[in-house]
Amino acid sequence: MTFVLNSSILESLYPEIFLGLVAFGMLLMGRRVKDWVVYTAVSIISLLISMILLLLFDSSNSSFFGGAFVINNFGLYFALILITSSLYVSFTAGSELKHDPEIFFSIFLFVNVAMIIAAFSLNLIFIFIAFEGISIGTYILSAHGKSKRNLEASAKYFFTGVIATGFIVLGSSFYFLSTGTFNLVSVTSISLINKPSMLLAMILLFVGFGFKLALVPLQQWAVDAYDGTKNPVSAFLSSGTKVLAFLVILRVFLVGFSSMNTDVFYLFTIVSIVTMTYGNFAALSENNLKRMLAYSSIAQAGYLILVLDVVSSNASHFAFTVAIFAAMYYSLVYIFMKGGAFIASGAVREDKIMINDLSGIGLKSPVFAISLGIMMLALAGIPPTAGFFAKYYLFLALISGNLWYLAVIGILNSAISVFYYLKIIVVMFRPATEERDFNLSRPILIPVIIGAAMSIALSFLIYGYPYISSIVAGLGVGV
Amino acid sequence: MFVLLIFLLTIIFAAISILLKKKAWETAAVESFIILVLTAIYGLVDFRAYTGGIVSSSSYPIDRSIGITFSTGVDGLSIALIFLTTVIMFAAIYTAKNEKFDRRFYGLMMFTEVGLYGLLISRNFLFFYVFWEAIIIPVFLLIAIYGDSRKEKASLKFFVYTQIGSVFLLLSILTLFSYYGSSHGNVFTLNMSNLLNPAFITKDITDKVPFWTDFALFGFFFAFLVKMPSFPLHSWLPDAYTSAPYPVTIVLSGAISLMGGYGFFAVLMPIAPVIGVSTAWFIIGLGIFSLIYFALTAMFQPNTKKMMAYASAASMGFISISFGDGILAGGAVSYTAFAGGIYQILAHGLIMGLVFASLYLIKQRAGTESNLSVSGLWRDMPYISAFFLAGIMASLGLPGLAGFISEASIVLSSYYAIGALIFMVIFGMIITASYHIWVVQKTLNGPFNENMGKLKDAKGSEILLLSFLFVLILVLGIYPNLFFGPILSFVKGVI
Repeated sequence: MTFVLNSSILESLYPEIFLGLVAFGMLLMGRRVKDWVVYTAVSIISLLISMILLLLFDSSNSSFFGGAFVINNFGLYFALILITSSLYVSFTAGSELKHDPEIFFSIFLFVNVAMIIAAFSLNLIFIFIAFEGISIGTYILSAHGKSKRNLEASAKYFFTGVIATGFIVLGSSFYFLSTGTFNLVSVTSISLINKPSMLLAMILLFVGFGFKLALVPLQQWAVDAYDGTKNPVSAFLSSGTKVLAFLVILRVFLVGFSSMNTDVFYLFTIVSIVTMTYGNFAALSENNLKRMLAYSSIAQAGYLILVLDVVSSNASHFAFTVAIFAAMYYSLVYIFMKGGAFIASGAVREDKIMINDLSGIGLKSPVFAISLGIMMLALAGIPPTAGFFAKYYLFLALISGNLWYLAVIGILNSAISVFYYLKIIVVMFRPATEERDFNLSRPILIPVIIGAAMSIALSFLIYGYPYISSIVAGLGVGV
Repeated sequence: MFVLLIFLLTIIFAAISILLKKKAWETAAVESFIILVLTAIYGLVDFRAYTGGIVSSSSYPIDRSIGITFSTGVDGLSIALIFLTTVIMFAAIYTAKNEKFDRRFYGLMMFTEVGLYGLLISRNFLFFYVFWEAIIIPVFLLIAIYGDSRKEKASLKFFVYTQIGSVFLLLSILTLFSYYGSSHGNVFTLNMSNLLNPAFITKDITDKVPFWTDFALFGFFFAFLVKMPSFPLHSWLPDAYTSAPYPVTIVLSGAISLMGGYGFFAVLMPIAPVIGVSTAWFIIGLGIFSLIYFALTAMFQPNTKKMMAYASAASMGFISISFGDGILAGGAVSYTAFAGGIYQILAHGLIMGLVFASLYLIKQRAGTESNLSVSGLWRDMPYISAFFLAGIMASLGLPGLAGFISEASIVLSSYYAIGALIFMVIFGMIITASYHIWVVQKTLNGPFNENMGKLKDAKGSEILLLSFLFVLILVLGIYPNLFFGPILSFVKGVI
């Protein structure tokens, strides 16, 4: 590409600036136009344009604000994933809006601005500001809607979220105390005197960021919030913001705390084991579809942070490469399989969606049932879906890193999880007990089909290993 | 190359079956018959002068840096099992005529065949695993959608059990893969011929970290024993077999049950030198225990379908025994043991196909398969009874039929390998014979149960299928060299 876009900080912020302007424009438009189709179209088009602007970035590294804002292919990959997840949910989101579409979509675009900034940030202050932008935006998004359930979910999310924010600030200041910088650079050694404050910073930041990823013991808000909000919003909360939280955790704990590998390893080993086991066992006995999906996404977060265990255990270069590749692969597949599953739950026209409510849908709409079935198989990690290949690289990383006990615990968990994912498939093909009217309109059916198609098509991403493995070093500042 | 074309044809056929709206049964039956004929021609052409090794191999690289290639090939073991698969799938689809199955049913059946075909021709571990798992999905759906009243519990149990087995298979594959890469200068491969190399495992894993060899072996054994199934990992079997509709039961007992045995002889046999003597004893113990335990359990089943399900599991015990024998005995005896075990997979599949196909006809006419209320079938249905009797006799190992060849060679090699303990094997065979004869006595002979009403005998088309299966069993019994030859060459080539 000859057209270079990041010669100055202003140019590198073009996508964010563009999205922000569109968002303000939407608010102005809101007085005259009230049709949700217009706003959905505008936000989809502007997200696509920002994607193109991102792709025009120079592929080499460039850093601004003294290393706080680094543009490289690794961040670019995640920025594109995050925009993809927004695109994926926006179609359904628009159709479910009863009022004020301009407010919903402008907030939605602001959240996207914050997400793109966070994807390129390597500085705790930058990450904090972007993170707050996302949090405040998602509080509003989850409260959107007139029913009390939405408000209740949003209130729970808000009150716990602000506490987590406080932890991030406190953790960042302790980080500054011990390293003298907010930049997540590789601090090679920590003097003995600074070790306690660094440990404190690690714990505090873990509480702050782990909250968004819903790691045990910070998970309970997620179940209530996903259950209470509208389906597209819960799809967005569980896919887009989750992938972002994962990226931030990767950056903060693998780059920022690279001097304390052992502590990071112990912390995340325990957390990953507890998180995936808790998520799976809680999901096993859950009859509410959305709560079950919420528990399953807690379990999936547990698998995701196994990557941190591999990298922080001083594994070989190969294990490191495969681990980060697994993280990137899993994040992309996760958006479609998890987001698609939450969107699919909108087929049931009820406030509380039970798994048994899906019975009979297999006979009414085989396409829907097969698509949801494929996403369930992908979440369970059954070949030939992309969910399997993502897990394949994850467990390859664990084995290559000699962490056999984590591999065994993880893979047993994924075998147990098969039980509740398949329960949904079984229920869908069960004859309906009562006549039920499903919402199989296009805004639900099409994203579900796309999700299923992507859950299979992304298997071919294994072809991309040579390319993607060349950009994994972009996790930090280097290369 | 030719076999790859048949495989592609199978995929196309499966797609046609699931899309075509009319004449679903006719299409599926013709498709599976074409595949059967093509496979038979391929086997006759390519395996007449087979002397071991892999024939018609081909390889398409996907990702060289991490060793993923779509490589295929056929050897003496897989050609026998591919033939078994195609026969069983044809028989299962053919018998499914009378029920009101829709096109999804036949499509799923064809996809099961795709998975099995792919598994048997894969020479790359990733695709081996992908097909290994991909087979479970259509079978699970077949049970979950078309099974009887307990289908949901049975299908979930089937899936979760086999899934827990397969994930350990994945970990074992990853272990071999990762050690191969780190000891060969970061040159990675997933080719089975490279990874299943005892010299590599001994030199690069066992000598460095013995734990990882045990870890890998445990994963392989666990996955294959669940699939076999062996005691104590068998509890999915009676539920799945009995709650599945009969055509699916035929597939389960004939074709799906070959997977465990195939794993033993395709994956574990090449690395037999790594497997310790104590492990071999343990496997033999499991085999003998399975044989006796399942035979005793079968004896007390009032439901003939469930009884034959346990009988199927019992005769899988012979495969474990033969595998252990082959490791313990060494020399020429181990050839007999391994080849006998492989022959047992083949014979067991065909025999169970015949047994369940004729039992299906009995069920259709008498309305139940309980051997308490079905009796004296000879009077009204001599043909069906004759074929059921033939299947039962083959299952208990009557000389002249296929089951005898494998059981004879396994017992013979057991004598060399485990000595006096062979009486345990014989004891199991005696129990097997006793309840087989007993079920014949109950259902076929004795006074006719008048509550069943007037029963019709088999139609011409049904007799055609049953005699097709029976002739195969007979041919395999009196001219075993047809398959025993290639199998023996394969075993000699590997060890």
